[in-house]
Amino acid sequence: MTNWTKVCAASDVPENELRKYDIGDIEVVVANYGGGFRVFPPFCPHMFEPLAVSGMLKDNVLTCGKHLWQWDLATGEKHGLSEKDMLFYDCKEDGGEIHADLSEQLTYDWEEEDELDDDDFFS
Amino acid sequence: MRIIVQTKAGTFSLDCEEGDNLLYAGLKSGLSLPYECATGTCGTCRCKVMEGDVELQWSEAPGLSYVKQEKNETLMCQVRARSDCVIRVPGDVVQGDEGPEFFSGTLENFKRLTRDVISFSIPLDRPMDFMAGQFCVLETPAVQGGRAYSMTNHGKGVEVLDFVVKRKPGGLFSDWLFDGGPENAPVSVFGPLGRATFDPAEAKNVLCIAGGSGVAGMMAILEQGVRSGHFANHRGHLFFGVRGNSDVFFADELSGFAEAFPDNVGVTIALSDEQPNDDLKARYPHLHFDHGFVHTVTSDAMKDRYDNMVGYVAGPPPMVDGALRMLVLEARLPGADIRYDKFS
Repeated sequence: MTNWTKVCAASDVPENELRKYDIGDIEVVVANYGGGFRVFPPFCPHMFEPLAVSGMLKDNVLTCGKHLWQWDLATGEKHGLSEKDMLFYDCKEDGGEIHADLSEQLTYDWEEEDELDDDDFFS
Repeated sequence: MRIIVQTKAGTFSLDCEEGDNLLYAGLKSGLSLPYECATGTCGTCRCKVMEGDVELQWSEAPGLSYVKQEKNETLMCQVRARSDCVIRVPGDVVQGDEGPEFFSGTLENFKRLTRDVISFSIPLDRPMDFMAGQFCVLETPAVQGGRAYSMTNHGKGVEVLDFVVKRKPGGLFSDWLFDGGPENAPVSVFGPLGRATFDPAEAKNVLCIAGGSGVAGMMAILEQGVRSGHFANHRGHLFFGVRGNSDVFFADELSGFAEAFPDNVGVTIALSDEQPNDDLKARYPHLHFDHGFVHTVTSDAMKDRYDNMVGYVAGPPPMVDGALRMLVLEARLPGADIRYDKFS
């Protein structure tokens, strides 16, 4: 069952912009790629790079400024040099507001607690 | 010491000499380990120590902000093995035949080019092969840690490395270079390093954006482009940012590149702090001069001229970030065609 939480007003995030929000204990970035919105964890899946600071968005493509890894936000697929998928929260635009399902925090492998068996560290 | 490197592509084993950090040991053995600056700043060479004892060299290394030290993650360029070790490394790693090595040399031929830029040379104990755009890490017993500098030359069997360095306020290594009187001082040289390289066989137009001594690698790229005849049928553009008229250096060399292929090679010197003066313009009629930040000047001059282009960027971090943003958002170059070093 989806547990929607309001993140921001849709008008708070102009087209091709990224904004970071603290929702309770969870930090998220909201991206407006023109054709819609995406809500995702605040860091690049590669390293600890803050996407709201150095991320660049144009023509649906999000580029991390650290190593130029890219993702197509319209499809959610990786693009160009990127070697890892991004994680996205379910989200919807409702009555001029962006809502996301934050009932489970999304993290990348290097953030996980299980330290001896995190085979994902390889990927 | 024996180091086992676990990666997604397989497990590799190598010998680590006393005193070598894990990154240099791995690169020497031919492993294509991930790295960028090789000097503790960027965080790209992170690994996880699964077994064994390592010693952190520079506990304040900025790149450590990218790792979780409490989970035994660290930077390969900043740790030495104190025992046999098992480490895990993310990303694609392959075993090659050869890698960078330690060379020894002496500093000589110091020339002051501007108030805060010097050039110097390092004759090596044996020749080095390296590509245009590569760098080496220099170390001296006088200062802790190594510093990465790009060579202004390139080639196979090179016996003397040429460098240009801008003084960094408060930088111990640059203070030593500028004030320490190090003519003939011995240095250790680790290299060649860096993947922001130029290969004429790619058959692409070349756009170089440099700030200050970031122009070093661009000098090698343009020289190779001129000498190989690459610019007979490909364009080459250099945008070189400095602060003021008196901060311009390498103008004679750059003018030479522009004169060699006047239709295809364009060199623009962008002054961030003042208007270019008439004297400079009169002395260098083959160079363009402009007033503004180098990435802004580039953006204005290059509009709609990015076809079949590979872009090179080097300089201080804010300039590199501005130029990368321009190449991604305006030039629309794919990531694989944008090559850069972030000095800091």
